[in-house]
Amino acid sequence: MSEPPAIRYYDLRHVTGQATLIDIDNGVVESAGTSFFNRAILRVLGPCGWGILEIDNYTSGSKKKFNSLLASASRLASITQQDVHLSDAPYRVLDVPAMREDPRDVSIEEKTEMLAAIELAARNPHVVNRRANYIERSEHITFSDSSGHEFSYEICRSGFNVLAVASRNGTVQMGFERLHSIRGFDLRHRQEYGEHAAKIAVALLDAGHAKGGRMRAVLDPELAGVFAHEAVGHASEGDLVQEGSSILAGKTGNQIGNDRLTIVDDPSLPEFGFEPFDAEGVAVQRTEIIRNGVVNAFLHSRETLAAVGNGVAGHARAMGAEPPLVRMSNTFIENGDAPFEEIIEACNNGILLKGSRGGQVDPGRGIFQFNAEYGYLIEHGECTNMVRDVSLSGEILSTLHDILLCGNDRAMHPGYCGKGGQSVPVSDGAPHVLLDNAVVGSSGVD
Amino acid sequence: MRWWVAVAWIDQLLKEGAKRVDEVEVFYAEGVAISADTKRRNVNLAIRSDECGLGIRTIDKGRIGTSSTHNPKQWRECLEAAIASGRLATPQQWNGLPEQAVPDTDILCYDPSLTPDPQAAYGLLEQMLEGAAQHPAQVTSGSATLSSATDVIANSSGLRSISRHTGLSISLEAIQGQSTGSEFAHSCFFDVDPPAVGERAAFLASQSAGGKDIASGNYDILLSPIAYAELLAVAFIPALSARNVHAGRSCLANHLGDDIMDPRLSFYDDPHRKKGLASGLWDGEGMPTKRIDFIRDGSLSSFAYDLRTAYRYGKESTASAIRNGVSGGTMIGHHNFTVNGSRTDVEDERVIYINSVVGAHTANPMNGDFSVEISNAFWMEEGELQTPIRSAMLVGNVFTMHKEIGGISDEVRQIGPMVLPSIRLISQRIIGK
Repeated sequence: MSEPPAIRYYDLRHVTGQATLIDIDNGVVESAGTSFFNRAILRVLGPCGWGILEIDNYTSGSKKKFNSLLASASRLASITQQDVHLSDAPYRVLDVPAMREDPRDVSIEEKTEMLAAIELAARNPHVVNRRANYIERSEHITFSDSSGHEFSYEICRSGFNVLAVASRNGTVQMGFERLHSIRGFDLRHRQEYGEHAAKIAVALLDAGHAKGGRMRAVLDPELAGVFAHEAVGHASEGDLVQEGSSILAGKTGNQIGNDRLTIVDDPSLPEFGFEPFDAEGVAVQRTEIIRNGVVNAFLHSRETLAAVGNGVAGHARAMGAEPPLVRMSNTFIENGDAPFEEIIEACNNGILLKGSRGGQVDPGRGIFQFNAEYGYLIEHGECTNMVRDVSLSGEILSTLHDILLCGNDRAMHPGYCGKGGQSVPVSDGAPHVLLDNAVVGSSGVD
Repeated sequence: MRWWVAVAWIDQLLKEGAKRVDEVEVFYAEGVAISADTKRRNVNLAIRSDECGLGIRTIDKGRIGTSSTHNPKQWRECLEAAIASGRLATPQQWNGLPEQAVPDTDILCYDPSLTPDPQAAYGLLEQMLEGAAQHPAQVTSGSATLSSATDVIANSSGLRSISRHTGLSISLEAIQGQSTGSEFAHSCFFDVDPPAVGERAAFLASQSAGGKDIASGNYDILLSPIAYAELLAVAFIPALSARNVHAGRSCLANHLGDDIMDPRLSFYDDPHRKKGLASGLWDGEGMPTKRIDFIRDGSLSSFAYDLRTAYRYGKESTASAIRNGVSGGTMIGHHNFTVNGSRTDVEDERVIYINSVVGAHTANPMNGDFSVEISNAFWMEEGELQTPIRSAMLVGNVFTMHKEIGGISDEVRQIGPMVLPSIRLISQRIIGK
């Protein structure tokens, strides 16, 4: 066997823990159980690029065994060609925010009862299906690297989803509510989430379709947060900038939005996307992607910061023990000063969109799409009829100029973001936002 | 068999479990994958992933429990967790796990010449890059993965089955100005065409440059198998799951026997398709697979059942249980979901060709409504891609659009566990910008 090439750097991240899942479907407890995971990732930076080992059921062993793993990873690195460099970065471990109540102290029997109460609360004569899921994932993460850093933390994310499906005369609609947090157990007395899911599902049975085309749109804090995530967040990820697949590459210092608009990603915030340090052990901190309408900074790993510049490292994240990717964490539009009533009035004729079914972006093309759970027409400054199945699409470089007003009521909403086959917890947020020239995709016509 | 010696602890687990509950099922998987990624035109990293996992399902008086772990040595703890989980589950009608009714080895998706090897992954990337060089576009990223895995299903009724799988996946993304293109190929065999994948990605990026806007209106469109798969997977296929049907989450629920689409179309699951990406002799519970006709000549004729759903509602399993990794347990899915029907020349008249869509996952899974951004869309005339369309939304419904078809293409393509033609749809709503 050939001698492994030289190693410039290595790091090891070991993720262990357990996940509890409960699934209640129309009153039937389909499953309620716990599973266990144990996986590690060893990254070695050879003379050019990375050699990486992912190992299920990892146990730390002798120095000889570890050196053998290093050699294996190093041999993998020998096929790489890219001249990878790592920037210097600050190291600091934040405390994981305290939990109000540790979910692990509550028995699964109690959790099942509480979830069943939420599911039952979605009862309604028109509701044909109720479903509720509880998800609790407790992770212990240890990190060490060849520079002598050694950190560890434990975090527990937990929460629930509740779905109500309403049906009448062949029309089927749904309402969906969720609550996920790093701040502890939150299943107690949450029946209003089930009630609200049912209320929306039933109301949507009578909702119409909006007319598709360009119009003014008011986005609620949840949807405006997804808008920030899709329209700006992904395109600011340093790996996409490095590859040449972000339309924001080379746009640093350019004004792409109105001068009151600031968009931030901050993994240090105690929200669902919180990390005490990133997946490379680097200190996390607030990054203002857009400051007063100007492209200000990109999100980076150590590698992309060295390759691209402009921004800070500390934004490398991973699903479990997968390879770190540059990711968002807690992404939001900063508050403006417009009260909600002023925003609706200023919209005059358009559409108010609420909730999110997700979105997607092609950052190289600069085109994004996202979908609301429901909405209301705005006519002469008043919210009127409910509408359903509305998407928006837009173009990154022009759409931020079309933000006319930002409210003063920012709220964060938890979710998951997919990239490169990995799904990581995030939160998105914003105040209410008034958007001009929004392209609304809906099947209504004149 | 040597492999069974290596996993002798499975018999011990089954024996131990059978003392505690009525039935026990074990799913054990181990495998290795090697992948290499390129950033622009240089290989940036190579990964070896060693995976193993154990999933246990217990059934006791109709109560189903599950648990999983990455550590098979931890099987006692995992068994305990599965049994505890079952105690909380609502009991249901249960008529037993399958006994051995299938061959004990399945190699429909196995290529002995496909060995996970970094040099092979590197070679695949190089070939894709060569293909991409045929068009004036810049490669942004690419990936090549080779994998090999062995799955075991065993249960306390005597089932012992091993399936071996190999896999090869390649993909490339390219850009020209603000125009992007991507292409991919997956196979269980070493039979992909990397230069063609690279060429197609660069072609789409370069050919889409300089796109023109389109006025809002109704147009005939031609969905490529990729775009078609994106829409079917989110909103149509879940409606065929018997669990969704019986739970009230499918708008097809009361339409068995009804004509729900154009009579030229048939949808079926073809689990024994030669070189099918999801072919298998048995499903995730060890039930022998067979063809399932979901839609026959436009008429809804069957839903997909696993054992749990079939027992609960007094039906037969259609062997539609799939495993979503080791820890995911079983769920209702399909093997090679196939769209078939009378073929026509779908390119003979002017049409908008849509290669893919952005945001398919935001479609309404209950009623099938979608409004998505279109990607790599062109005016197509006489089978040739002409003027690219810069940006527009496609608005429609995944159920009603099958009543508005102009035809399906001769050629089909495997998109993951789906085998699809291109489909021409008449008078679909486009929102221009």
